[in-house]
Amino acid sequence: MKKLILKSGLYVFLVLISLELLVRVFHLGKDTPTRILDEHKVEKWMPNQNGFSVTGNRRQNFSEYHINNSGYNSYREFNPTKNKIEVALVGDSFIEGFHQNYYNSIGKKIEKSIPEIEVYEYGYAGYDFADQLHLVNAYKEQFDAIDHIILGIKFSNDLTRGEYEVIMGRLALESPMNRLLKKSKLLVYCKSIGILDPPQRLMYKLINILKPAIKKQDVNKEEVLRIKNKKEKKYLANFNSLIEKYGFDKNRFTLLLDSRITSNLFLSYLDNNDFNYIDFSKHFEESDQATTLIYDRHWNNNGRALIAKAISEYLKELEIKK
Amino acid sequence: MLFNSLDFFIFLPVVFIIYWFFFSKHLKLQNIFILVASYLFYGMWDWRFLFLILASTTIDYMVGQYIYNSDSTSQRKRWLWVSVIFNIGLLGFFKYYNFFVDSWVDFISIFGYELKSSWTLQIILPVGISFYTFQTMSYSLDIYYKRLTPTKDFISFATFVSFFPQLVAGPIERASNLLSQITTKRTFKYSQCTEGLKLIIWGLFKKVVIADSIAPIVDDIFANYGSYPASTLILGVTLFSFQVYGDFSGYSDIAIGTAKLFGIELMSNFKFPSFSRNVAEYWQRWHVSLSTWFRHYVYIPLGGSRVSKLKSVRNICIIFLVSGFWHGANWTFIAWGAIHALLYIPVFLMGRNRIYMNNVVAENSWFPSFREILQILLTFSLVTFSRVFFRSESITDAFGFLKQIYTNFSFEIYEHPLGYRMIDYFILLGIFVLYEFRIRRDERSPFKFKSKLVRFVAYTLVILGMLLFFDDNIDRSFIYFQF
Repeated sequence: MKKLILKSGLYVFLVLISLELLVRVFHLGKDTPTRILDEHKVEKWMPNQNGFSVTGNRRQNFSEYHINNSGYNSYREFNPTKNKIEVALVGDSFIEGFHQNYYNSIGKKIEKSIPEIEVYEYGYAGYDFADQLHLVNAYKEQFDAIDHIILGIKFSNDLTRGEYEVIMGRLALESPMNRLLKKSKLLVYCKSIGILDPPQRLMYKLINILKPAIKKQDVNKEEVLRIKNKKEKKYLANFNSLIEKYGFDKNRFTLLLDSRITSNLFLSYLDNNDFNYIDFSKHFEESDQATTLIYDRHWNNNGRALIAKAISEYLKELEIKK
Repeated sequence: MLFNSLDFFIFLPVVFIIYWFFFSKHLKLQNIFILVASYLFYGMWDWRFLFLILASTTIDYMVGQYIYNSDSTSQRKRWLWVSVIFNIGLLGFFKYYNFFVDSWVDFISIFGYELKSSWTLQIILPVGISFYTFQTMSYSLDIYYKRLTPTKDFISFATFVSFFPQLVAGPIERASNLLSQITTKRTFKYSQCTEGLKLIIWGLFKKVVIADSIAPIVDDIFANYGSYPASTLILGVTLFSFQVYGDFSGYSDIAIGTAKLFGIELMSNFKFPSFSRNVAEYWQRWHVSLSTWFRHYVYIPLGGSRVSKLKSVRNICIIFLVSGFWHGANWTFIAWGAIHALLYIPVFLMGRNRIYMNNVVAENSWFPSFREILQILLTFSLVTFSRVFFRSESITDAFGFLKQIYTNFSFEIYEHPLGYRMIDYFILLGIFVLYEFRIRRDERSPFKFKSKLVRFVAYTLVILGMLLFFDDNIDRSFIYFQF
């Protein structure tokens, strides 16, 4: 019995070492860049990192990222000047684009379409509208030098708060324990493919075993509508609260949104108050190819090309000049 | 509790450690503990059906005693009928009741009578009922045929019926093999445990990597057969052949491996049926515990092949039809059994049904001969054809599937429903077939390599394969649980 336990333990250890090696050799697990909170309380990536983002068990999506000097995934360094035309794209993981090679980003596609402009991509996973306006405000000098700013916004996600605060939960991912765990590529890989979900669910179940189960209540249609309306009003109030605090230059700022998933209340508000926005829904609807990746809902190359097209058309119409 | 679930990976080591650390010196306690663990294992699905197992156990335990103690043949026969009627009654009610009602309603409607099928009941099929009822019946039958002396130890008998590694999907054991081991004190054997662990790993590989990864493709093709060309439908049914093999033989390997951890040797259930050279050999290698059950308890009592050719053919038809019906209350399974009878009869009439009983393909060589390759391909194709019926939801769907192959006989590249690379699966299956061919001589030793290093590399690659094809979002239950 002792022999069996010892030998099994040894085999498990050796197999884990071998798997770690194989995962590294075939680069099955994704690299995870380090997050920082800078002196302006802006959360971003630590500057000057390189790596590969991997999705799927068998590397179905494999792309290279490059975190520039400003802490964002881009092939460019961000040096806005008065004599060039620059456009900033600010947004969440969709703009950040770890799912694409950094040299084939939305910004790069826009630059190909309009060679005289430079596109600065300020994308960071999880950035909501508060994060975006706080960033623009914190680096006011830099953003003032940028000719046009496009802010990606998803109504249901990005307006849940009316005030900026550092999200400590996200930064907790940089705790010494998490950093140590991330050193094992096998662990990162297993987590990404969901093999650790069942034990995590079990742990959660065990932790909450004594807590009474929350009973699901049947909610009628009217109640659902009432909750929805209440939420929409709150999000709109958050939008107003944020632009009131940080300002919103309607001549330079444009929102990027998908009207299919945006509330009519918000759209009417934008229309009635002369906010500019780019609605890319038409481009997506007209596409006969898939616009998102297989493994998650992020835009694939076709989706990114359509976004770039929508932005380029808008910028061409705008005729930004120095 | 599924063998491929986290629950089982906690349950198994805990039961294993308690079993060997605390009960290794006392047989009675060993059996009580295994019985409790088995009931816990089963009760985690639905504890209410434990009463059915207990009822089946009690009836056959008592019937066994009565048969043994009866003086006259007629009395023995009467007691045997009690067991058969009870067990078949359980099956009939839980598995076939609605089927018979619906079939009767359909039959009556042919003559113009419109009956509403209001007699059908909402019955949950208890997991494993087809397996344990057959196992308990075999006990009474063996006593009746004077092949076995009944046990007086109820705990041992209950453990024999509900032994958790094989309770829900076999192998369907005979008392002569399993009960005799249960009534004998088990001692810890290192080699037996390592063999068991190897079988568990290999079984998991077959389930997680082969069966589960193919499942979404097969589901998609069979659900939308009307919109696919022949090439895709042929691909679908071929992949289903691999899926059902990976699923059920994987389950059996885990069951046999788990039993070994407790010092019990279960019978082999799969002996590389994909390399069979004719349909008769296929049935000597596919679901062995069920086919031998039907041979011992149905075919031979009917006269087997020792009667006239005509009667033998009748007997073959009976066992294949019954075997088909055993799989499920659906005409598709009866059709599947009928097809196999039709495939088997010519082999039987040519006297070629026993020629491959004691050897494997390429017995003394590295590669099969050209003739053997053709034989294997033909057998695999015929068996795969029959699986159209096995997999389809209804007879109409099965014929619709075949009609679509005929009417839309064209080729089109198939794309995975979730957008994954199809080439990954072809490479995987290619490697799997080659590996299975490499180990074809011994189904109980999937990692039989002389070099420790090679063996270690094989373990690592098998586990890597599980990671590469793991998908938490798919239904991971075993196909044969529905039977």
